[in-house]
Amino acid sequence: MKPVIDLDSCKGCNICVYICPRKCYSKGTTLSEKGYFAAVVSAHEKCYNHNREGKLLCELCILSCPDQAISWHPETEEEKK
Amino acid sequence: MSTSQELFIQGNDACVEGALAAGVRFFAGYPITPSTEIAEGLSARLPKMGGVFLQMEDEIACISAIIGASWGGVKSMTATSGPGFSLMQEAIGYAAMTETPTLVVNVMRGGPSTGQPTRASQGDVMQTKWGSHGDYQVIALAPASVQEMFDLTVEAINFSEKYRVPAFILSDAEVGHMRGLLSIPQRIHVVDRKERGLRRRDEAYDVPDDLVRPFPTFGKGNKAVITGMTHTDDYRIEPEDVRVHQDLVKRLSEKVLRNRKDINRWELIGEGSKTMIVSYGSAALGAREVAATDPKVGLLRLKSVWPFPEEPIAEVASKCDRMLVCEMNLGELYWDIRRAAVEAGCKQVEFLSKIGGDPPTPSEVRHKLREMGAL
Amino acid sequence: MELFEFYRQDRMPTVFCPGCGNGTVMNCFFRAFSDLNLPLDRTAFIGGIGCSSRIPLYINSDVLHTTHGRAIAFATGLRLARPDLKIVVFTGDGDLGAIGGNHFINGCRRNVDMTVICINNNIYGMTGGQASITTPHDFLSTTTPYGNKEYPFDLSEIAVAAGANYVARWTTRHVHELTKSIKAALQKKGFTFVEVVSQCPTNFGRRNKMADPTQMLEWFKEMSVRRDKAKAEAPDHVDLNLAGQITIGEFVERNRECYEEHMGVAKHG
Repeated sequence: MKPVIDLDSCKGCNICVYICPRKCYSKGTTLSEKGYFAAVVSAHEKCYNHNREGKLLCELCILSCPDQAISWHPETEEEKK
Repeated sequence: MSTSQELFIQGNDACVEGALAAGVRFFAGYPITPSTEIAEGLSARLPKMGGVFLQMEDEIACISAIIGASWGGVKSMTATSGPGFSLMQEAIGYAAMTETPTLVVNVMRGGPSTGQPTRASQGDVMQTKWGSHGDYQVIALAPASVQEMFDLTVEAINFSEKYRVPAFILSDAEVGHMRGLLSIPQRIHVVDRKERGLRRRDEAYDVPDDLVRPFPTFGKGNKAVITGMTHTDDYRIEPEDVRVHQDLVKRLSEKVLRNRKDINRWELIGEGSKTMIVSYGSAALGAREVAATDPKVGLLRLKSVWPFPEEPIAEVASKCDRMLVCEMNLGELYWDIRRAAVEAGCKQVEFLSKIGGDPPTPSEVRHKLREMGAL
Repeated sequence: MELFEFYRQDRMPTVFCPGCGNGTVMNCFFRAFSDLNLPLDRTAFIGGIGCSSRIPLYINSDVLHTTHGRAIAFATGLRLARPDLKIVVFTGDGDLGAIGGNHFINGCRRNVDMTVICINNNIYGMTGGQASITTPHDFLSTTTPYGNKEYPFDLSEIAVAAGANYVARWTTRHVHELTKSIKAALQKKGFTFVEVVSQCPTNFGRRNKMADPTQMLEWFKEMSVRRDKAKAEAPDHVDLNLAGQITIGEFVERNRECYEEHMGVAKHG
């Protein structure tokens, strides 16, 4: 599974960037439609849950994100490499 | 009406009987003279009936707890006196804003402040309607006997259920502690709030739907968001919306004011007399004796004081030459009575003010009437 | 249960500031609640007044948004009138410990079954950043422009002393431990209390050189010490907590009878 940031919810607080132990996130540089510099998933393959299904590990980003902007999505065949 | 029980008891104990008969099953109280007997009575009776009795840490906790209980669908009440009543004002406003049915009994004592804990007054009458911030209407009844401590408690609870409004019993140290005869009728008319999702043939459903909304009891899947903030009918919080605020706050008042005819309660002795005394509660007791014995004098004894009973006062004022208002305060309801009476054409409206704890005696009333040129 | 069933989608995103710790607590609460499979329609949520007290407004169940400081009193009434309902209270440091202090300590003492989650951001956030009863000594706020002359309460220690059946404190930096504690609190009978030290970057952090929420989270991480490892002796005054630390952990777990048991009423909704 890979993390995906919902641009309608992200308020650009960058807690995910700070909290992720594998440095999967980066600060955004583009203004979202809501007017925030939304964070970016810059390295989903570093995530503990890369190529993992069922019981997920870590999830610090999911639990920390104050706007419930991050959710798990199944990876495409391409992304699983 | 056939009687199921006759008791010789205190006014406060009669209030307990009335509350239980009307279906109250939750009481949260704090000891305060001269209301404490109500708490003590209910502490013994409620657990036996599967009800809940709580003594809370302060009066603010009491009024908050009874509002919480009402949202669980349980009829609730508290009993207090002046100092405790002052503490409850914020939450009373909350009950008005959220349209929570509940009953507050205020056994009034001498004020301001700690004042005369064991003596009567009528010093909290204005506070009952104006005590909390903002515009709202309440229903308040004023018993003057042990029997009325029962009857009017039942009526007040019924009103609060029917109109989804906090209701009040304005008693005082005299009426609360006097001993007299209570006849409990075999059948008592009880009104239950109209609940969301239920249809019953019930008096509560007679109020037009657009004034009193069905009550969304907790734990029944209603998912209502109940808040003291300005809100819409579908519980959206909209404090910035001018129209939403106007609609809500006006409806809170209209639902009571437009139903004054249903709510007004009074006793009229000597209808058509040229001199009318207007009074309520203990202050009316001496006057009643004068009106009963003197054919020139009548008495309009108000049994409901809020919403302000415009109609019976105007009716009586339009037919009499002079009016005497008796109150155990320095003038609270007097000013509104005077205004209504003068508007209705009464030429002379005077005031007998008695504070210090004793109700005005018949001779004090007669003395004042003589001064007025009525006798 | 899914997140979108639990939170009212038509009211999202929340009004909370970017980086506010409230949303983090909401996540941990939702995770705990749904892991336990608790019935949402038999749970009522009660809040006082303040940012964290607004959390119930986002939950898809019966909600009572009450007056400042009195949530526990309202909750006591609702719970005892309806012991079939589970009660959760969301409150803040000022709402609970200042104006609500009397109801807080008596709620712990009375031990009516409810779970109280106090989100302690050390400030009155909603009104613009005035000092609260947990603002650390010397810190700046809009009402302490020369530094806070007062010392803070330790809300969790108060709950322990007053008799709550379960007391724990974590920070928003400790999301896994927090989730576990909320689960334990929801399952325990009686008055259960979880304090979460949380960031208010806008009104607390910004005035105290921690404008970025991540700076506050780092501060929480540095300052926290597990309770059993905390320094034994307390100095004459408390700073943020004992000796300038945030003590975290489960403070107490006991089995005092809840009030409902004394009434002969079922103890859990």
